[in-house]
Amino acid sequence: MKAVEFIEVTRKFGNFKANDEISFDIKSNDVHCILGENGAGKSTLMNILFGIIKKDSGKMKIFGEEKDFKSPLDAIKNGIGMVHQHFMLIEDFTVLENVILGNEITLKTGIDFKRSELILNELVEKYSLGLDVNARISELSIGQQQKVEILKLLFRESDILIFDEPTAVLSPVETDRFFKIIGTFKNDGKTIIFITHKLNEVKYISDRVSVLRKGKLVYESDNADKDLNIPELSRAIVGELSEISNPVKRAAEINTSDAVVLENINLVLNELNVLNGLDLKLKKGEIHGICGVEGNGQSGIVDVIYGIEKNFTGSFKKYIEGGISLVPDDRKRKGFIKEYNIGENISLKGKNLNYLPEKRINEISGKIISENDIRVSDIESPMGDLSGGNQQKVIFARESDSENYVIVLVHPTRGVDINASAFIHGRILKLRNEGKAVLVISSDLDELILLSDRLSVLYKGKILKTFARKDFSGYIKEENEVELTADPDFLQSIGKLMTGITDE
Amino acid sequence: MNRKSLINLISVSLSVIVTLLIIFILLLILNKDPFLIFSKIFSEVFADGYGIGQTLFKATPLIFVSCGLAVCFHASIFNIGAEGQLNAGAFVTALVALKLDFLPFPLLITVSLICGFIISGIFGLIPAYIKIKKDVSEVITTIMMNFIILALVNFFLLDFFAVKSTMRTEKISANFMFLKMEDVIPFFQGSSLNISFLLALLLAFLMYMFIYKTGFGYKLRSVGFNEIASRYLGIRTNAVIMISFFIGAGITSLAGMNYIFGYKGFYEFGFSNNIGFTAIAVTLLARNNPIGIIFSSLLFAVLDYGGLSVNQLVPKELMLVVQGIIILSLLAVDKLVNNYFRGKIVS
Ligand SMILES: Nc1ncnc2c1ncn2[C@@H]1O[C@H](COP(=O)(O)OP(=O)(O)OP(=O)(O)O)[C@@H](O)[C@H]1O
Ligand SMILES: [Mg+2]
Repeated sequence: MKAVEFIEVTRKFGNFKANDEISFDIKSNDVHCILGENGAGKSTLMNILFGIIKKDSGKMKIFGEEKDFKSPLDAIKNGIGMVHQHFMLIEDFTVLENVILGNEITLKTGIDFKRSELILNELVEKYSLGLDVNARISELSIGQQQKVEILKLLFRESDILIFDEPTAVLSPVETDRFFKIIGTFKNDGKTIIFITHKLNEVKYISDRVSVLRKGKLVYESDNADKDLNIPELSRAIVGELSEISNPVKRAAEINTSDAVVLENINLVLNELNVLNGLDLKLKKGEIHGICGVEGNGQSGIVDVIYGIEKNFTGSFKKYIEGGISLVPDDRKRKGFIKEYNIGENISLKGKNLNYLPEKRINEISGKIISENDIRVSDIESPMGDLSGGNQQKVIFARESDSENYVIVLVHPTRGVDINASAFIHGRILKLRNEGKAVLVISSDLDELILLSDRLSVLYKGKILKTFARKDFSGYIKEENEVELTADPDFLQSIGKLMTGITDE
Repeated sequence: MNRKSLINLISVSLSVIVTLLIIFILLLILNKDPFLIFSKIFSEVFADGYGIGQTLFKATPLIFVSCGLAVCFHASIFNIGAEGQLNAGAFVTALVALKLDFLPFPLLITVSLICGFIISGIFGLIPAYIKIKKDVSEVITTIMMNFIILALVNFFLLDFFAVKSTMRTEKISANFMFLKMEDVIPFFQGSSLNISFLLALLLAFLMYMFIYKTGFGYKLRSVGFNEIASRYLGIRTNAVIMISFFIGAGITSLAGMNYIFGYKGFYEFGFSNNIGFTAIAVTLLARNNPIGIIFSSLLFAVLDYGGLSVNQLVPKELMLVVQGIIILSLLAVDKLVNNYFRGKIVS
């Protein structure tokens, strides 16, 4: 049976076709992956399915019946649930309040919190989500917030579940857990639509894939037998294979001197120990990677180094003049002003901001757009209208293109496609080769292994162990390649450390 | 004009039209002749130079106060305290002008206006400080400050400065009064319109440049859009909030200029006649745009002055109803227009 049918679905923004006569089916009880470059139109199509955006023309059928959702509420009533690329949670509400919002179980006298809590706890148990339903959203890590979104779908008993880049910020362990949840969903007979940029995930989890490029459907393939042709798929995604003509090589180790030194840092926020005697040294000409499960002090480290958080104890020393560049963890909240366009967001970060005439702003936008291959429908679009991956590319471009010698990157490639990801990795290596001190905090271990000169494992606000590159570079099969696979043993030992198991 | 301003213009115009329609129907229900009433309002205003002059005169303080509020609103500071702030400033302006009457005209005006500005500004800094340090919403503090400031002004005025058995200060010397427009343009014969109006227009233009065309204006709006992101972008958000509150509240004091130097020559308790609140509506209608403020102030002035002529026919509270409906329909129409152009239900 077909769960969803798209028939010549088209959506324009101005003259730009974000979705261009897209037709394909999603079979019931399939895990269906949707792939494509940044700005290909994936989120737009899903937003149409979920009733957030209206289509201009074309048809959509849900379980054989033609539907045209007026609002997300409409879609939810029809058994559709969605976890967005950017979560939609109310920060000051608890998990429970967020989940039942719009779907409250009511008594005559008001909301039945007791029964709701019971049901939620059952669901948390069944799907091993490990959530405290009475915790406030603002206290939760991104990984946990995602689970709240999943809990919402479960509570509403949706049949068709849409996940827009759910694994972008998850660590490998969390991704595994997430896939287990997906497996349970499949067993329960649900249909899952899954957007991602990670091809190994696609091969592992999907039953069928569809690829969009520039708003059109360009490729479809079955993967019921997990025999997906990855090279063919990559070609479908990027069009003609754009070879990286001159991959950046890791220069031999340069004279490294201390840039930023943190010693015995303790940070307490909301009575929670965020950092617990943390020691960290960033050196010039070195990439220092930090891995760890989300919520173990990552944002604390960033806020201390970047100067947002001042109420910590311990010693913080910076030996280099000048500012600090930052690609923040939550781009929508901290990374840009969504009402401003690209050029305005770039110049806002300048030191002595003066008014820039529109023409100059557009020049700045134009330069960033062409140098970083950013896909926009209109050069003057506000940043909020850009696709998620393109927003990320703009922020990275702004932060890497500065005089600053200390550079902090959190999930630098969050949500960007394969090509852009390789491009960004090249830029990070280049920054290192120029003698800058780079801190990379990421949930993507492959990325960290590819980039890091030193790699630290963060657990409960403390560095458990730091590896030098020689400790793990032996495991890397092909140095300086876009695709690389680290030794499984090493990955396993790091995985253990990330959950606090130290062997000793 | 870019797309966004065009959309704004459309939604503002539509909401004014919707309001007029609602009032039209309301009058029919009240069994009044809407045509008669609207035509009376318009003929009162536009019949002669006096009507036009009086209307522009009434628009003047609205433009000043709204320009101040626009600065606050752009920084997402919801300043409800203009009524108190402007009274404190105007009062001090008048006092300084009275005390320093040995100064030459331009200097006296400048010094007394600056003193008024600073006093109003300081009354803006207090809620700003409480907001930053204690995270208390400025909506609450500014409302409360209104009562405090008005009581203080009342106390100082009556106990120390008032002319016996009045609620006003002494009169400043006639040499210090502004030029009346009727002296230059006889068309405005008899009206109180003075050069304050031109200064108000100038200020609106300057504030437009300040908000949209300076580096500080960029930061100010950026803090209003997203304070957290602004902080991560390296903007000193607390400083921006303090400065915006100071400037915004300070500007409201200029409302006194029209009355003191342009009209009566003294400060009188109650002169403001709730301009501080009307200006909130004016500013919202103008979507916080100082150029728009000129037009929405004019609209409110037409209703205010023209409304006088229909006092016998309809209760004068009808004009308050109009103000309220304009804001409500603006909110509703705005949502619809934006959805229409963006095709998005949430953004
Ligand atoms: N509200 C909007 N106004 C104008 N253009 C828009 C709007 N929403 C999306 N677009 C444009 O439509 C295109 C497709 O965006 P969409 O978000 O669907 O991409 P995507 O495939 O999800 O990309 P990503 O992988 O980066 O998330 C982009 O070029 C984007 O700039
Ligand atoms: Mg997307």
